Amino acid sequence: MDLGLQGKKAIVVGGARGIGFAVAEVLAREGCDIALSARGEDSVKDAVASLSRYGTKVIGKAVNVRKADEYKEWLAWAIETLEGVDVVIPLTSAGSGIGSEKYWSNAFETDVMGPVRAVEAAIPHMTEQGSGSIVLVATTSALEAMGGPQAYNAMKTSLITYGKQLALAHGKDGIRVNVVSPGPVEFEGGNWDMIKGTMEKFYASQLRQQPMGRLGKPEEIARAIVFLASEAASWCSGSHLVVDGAFTNRTHF
Amino acid sequence: MWDTARMDVKRVVDVIRVDQAACTTRTPVEKAPDPELGTDVIPAARYYSEEFMKLEWERIWTKVWLLGGRADDIPEPGDYICTDIGKESVLIVRQHDGTLRAFPNVCLHRGNRLRPEGLGNATEFRCMYHHWTYSLEGVIERLPDLCTFAQGGPPGMTLPSLPCTEWNSFVWFSLNPEIEPFDDYIAPLKDHLEPYHPERMAWKRDVTVEWDCNWKASVDAFNETYHVQGIHPQLLWYLDDVNVQIDCYERHNRYLIPFATVSPRVAMPSQIPPAIDEIMRHAGMDPAEYEGRISDIRRDVQLFKRKHGASQGKDYSALNDDQLTDDYHYMIFPNIALNVHADDVLMFRQRPHATDPNKMLYDVWVFELLPEGEEWPERVKHRRFKHGDRSIGQVLDQDAFNLPTVQLGMQSDNFPGLWIGEQELRIRHFHKVLDDYIYGPGGKSPDDI
Repeated sequence: MDLGLQGKKAIVVGGARGIGFAVAEVLAREGCDIALSARGEDSVKDAVASLSRYGTKVIGKAVNVRKADEYKEWLAWAIETLEGVDVVIPLTSAGSGIGSEKYWSNAFETDVMGPVRAVEAAIPHMTEQGSGSIVLVATTSALEAMGGPQAYNAMKTSLITYGKQLALAHGKDGIRVNVVSPGPVEFEGGNWDMIKGTMEKFYASQLRQQPMGRLGKPEEIARAIVFLASEAASWCSGSHLVVDGAFTNRTHF
Repeated sequence: MWDTARMDVKRVVDVIRVDQAACTTRTPVEKAPDPELGTDVIPAARYYSEEFMKLEWERIWTKVWLLGGRADDIPEPGDYICTDIGKESVLIVRQHDGTLRAFPNVCLHRGNRLRPEGLGNATEFRCMYHHWTYSLEGVIERLPDLCTFAQGGPPGMTLPSLPCTEWNSFVWFSLNPEIEPFDDYIAPLKDHLEPYHPERMAWKRDVTVEWDCNWKASVDAFNETYHVQGIHPQLLWYLDDVNVQIDCYERHNRYLIPFATVSPRVAMPSQIPPAIDEIMRHAGMDPAEYEGRISDIRRDVQLFKRKHGASQGKDYSALNDDQLTDDYHYMIFPNIALNVHADDVLMFRQRPHATDPNKMLYDVWVFELLPEGEEWPERVKHRRFKHGDRSIGQVLDQDAFNLPTVQLGMQSDNFPGLWIGEQELRIRHFHKVLDDYIYGPGGKSPDDI
């Protein structure tokens, strides 16, 4: 199956590690030019260096998504340097946290406005060229209560609604929008890696609840995201794909 | 110092440390030269041999200064601490003039113990057997029917006096009447530990656990950080167990462990680890507001505490910046391990069993800094139990879990002794000091255990 991604220009916000890096890697391997961001300059540098081996144009720059002006400048720079944009995949997240009101504004700025600002920067270009693909990344923690009352789940949940609205509004312009909700994913330096080390019993209890007896790997989420982003999914829009090894208990009618 | 890049690590970390030249506080930070202690096996037999246990009693326990308890437990005349060491029991008593006296907790008549172990207040010590009665000074005040003892009362009509002293909120005693001055014995730790002002810290925990291992197995367990990656994996997201500075002095030693940082043994996470989050909250910071990198948290906690400590009623002026986050971990020979921090002290007293080299008593003492103006809390109650009957917290449970099987394994004919690495230099140093007490300085021969 040809994904039709050769020569496409993709923006991956939060593309230096974990699922974001895996997405960028699959895209690069498929022949996409890539602009990626991260908070730290070192991580950007490392990611760009690593992805350059696939022979496409890979650019990156550090940016704090919570600083709106700086972030908007970054988006403009990415589109300009890539000379266009076909695919947008914003993955930034402030992560979890309970106890301070500040977690809510952090999650709003990072998990919600991070994607919103990326979408708004890309839509005019995609509309003009009559094509484009956006994939938002929510979480299975939006579908089933997990981790206590906190901003992370609530803010991520809003992306599922927002994704559908975008798909309805921009279908006429040839822009597809889909949402992927990953289950727990483990990778070195990720939260589940830390949970495995710091909360062994909780980690083991999560594993027991996993039908396949393991957590997900970043590339398993990345391949689903990239499929939806690609031409191969040309009639997929407004969909919400749960990638969790059957972890969530509810049925997704 | 070992080569951190060649160890089992994911990253090489350059830890920011206080520079001795710029340091104006008393606790030294400079690295002491490592002693040349060789690479010999440390004989396992010394952990289970009854003969060696006897030597330890004769040449260490009855010769050195020992920790008796906390001075603020006995502020008033007649307040006393009764504490056991091996087969001996000692009364440390506050006198009418405010000084301390110590004497053996034994009635000179038929040998009955005068008091059970613990704290109390007395106007006199009366033996429950025949009511021989001793004053706070240890003098026999009443000996019923003295006229029926043809030989008269015991010599001087008084209990033998034992050396005792008070230092840094703790009371110390010795079973050795000829002991060297305490100041000489504790050197150089006065400068190290007094700046923590333990007198501003209140009891938080007082527990004694009976462990099925030799007391030295416990001392060893706290004298190295190499075991963190083995039995405390959760602490790798809390401290740097690789960039540890070890300093060996004449008989005591220490190591300095950076806290509030992520170990080079694990990948740097993107979210603040829960235990570091806790450190920030305890300092008064809101982790949600934190904009820096996780690797900068340790330094930022230091700066925050320096800036806001005074307004929180916490006077950190006698401590250097590293002391505001890090674990300065001391061993006071032979049996005290202290984790000293700006806001608390977590210490262990490791006592031999009276008769069995395969058993010991593990005392856990925790003290917490009381912010100025806050009311001094009621003293926590002492609890005592056997290992496994109750939890002593995740980390200490992890430490305790192995020790009985270590004690069993060490008795195998196939285990000649401890195979010690550089990260365990303090263990080697401890055993060298032990050797010098047992066999005389440099007197241990290859056949000695």
